[in-house]
Amino acid sequence: MTLPITSWNDPLAQGLFSGLFWSLATIGLYLAAKRLHRRWPRWWLMPLAVTPVLLVIAVLSLHASYRDYIRGTGWLVALLGPAMVAFAVPIYEHRALIRREWPVLAAGMLAGTATAVLSGWGLATVVGLDGAIRLSLLPRSISTPFAMEVSGEIGGIPQLTAIFVVLTGVLGAALGDIVLAWLPLRSALARGALLGVGAHGAGTAKAHMIGREEGSIAGLVMVLVGLMNILVAPVLAQILRHI
Amino acid sequence: MFIRRFAVSFRRHIHSSRLLQVGFLLAFWLAGEALARLVGLPLPGGIIGMAIVLALLASHRISVFSMRRGAQWFLADMLLFFVPAVLAVIDHPEFLGLLGLKILVVILVGTLAVMAVTALTVDFCWRWRSRQ
Repeated sequence: MTLPITSWNDPLAQGLFSGLFWSLATIGLYLAAKRLHRRWPRWWLMPLAVTPVLLVIAVLSLHASYRDYIRGTGWLVALLGPAMVAFAVPIYEHRALIRREWPVLAAGMLAGTATAVLSGWGLATVVGLDGAIRLSLLPRSISTPFAMEVSGEIGGIPQLTAIFVVLTGVLGAALGDIVLAWLPLRSALARGALLGVGAHGAGTAKAHMIGREEGSIAGLVMVLVGLMNILVAPVLAQILRHI
Repeated sequence: MFIRRFAVSFRRHIHSSRLLQVGFLLAFWLAGEALARLVGLPLPGGIIGMAIVLALLASHRISVFSMRRGAQWFLADMLLFFVPAVLAVIDHPEFLGLLGLKILVVILVGTLAVMAVTALTVDFCWRWRSRQ
């Protein structure tokens, strides 16, 4: 019997091997980081902060490239799609609360979107960023597919925005705990909206850890705020053209 | 009679099998992707899939229990799915210097502002409404 893969120099075999290696490394490090974080719950030990740092070190020290890495692990990122579908369940289970409180959530989403765009523009100008980088920073608070759409529309660089979105998610999920401890919030509504509007998917995953109600509100708000941004983008593009 | 008994056992099987439910979610996601591609909607397939599932749940075509375990499995470790995307920074060595620091400051302070404003607005409106 002959094996379909004859030697380790075969490009297909190498691709399979490196894909398997990076996938297992990512999942293994994530699970280890999760365990570590459960033991010592510090924000800088958050799995979403620790795992990428360790992986960057691994990729660079093995002289691999981002392309090698993502070719093997892209399927993990693709799973964000079915995870999005999964949010239908907690949203459906909290439909009564959402139907009752939608005006409150809408007010929060409007205020949050306005703050995201204005603070992005203002802070970028203060630290001396301009041009495409400044524009690419504006839609950073919404989830990647929406953000890339908006970025292209207002004259930013979608690929750059994708990186800023991920950084916002990572930092936001870590900051979320700190902000939640500072602010005297009474309602699960406010806690969910804080994470969903501030840190999109990563924030929503965090909210899901805090409570089912918070998680479902964050999930709903994340989707709606993304849609809201797509609708507002043409108007924003017009305004930006006149500045 | 036989068909009904078969349907009941099939339903029970779905309600208890996490793997089957994960498969369901994957199927709805793919359906959403296909629909987006076909109609040319500028929306991600996951969101269309979510809308389909919500519509089916609301019209009682499917029961929450045929999704619940699978959904919990996906949501519990959703942060893992973000990890590979973060490594895109490897391709941008220019962000390692002052430029990266500036961007980090904008994102950090901006996110703090967005979170505080959103949460305080929601909490204020919520208290105002419950006092009415």
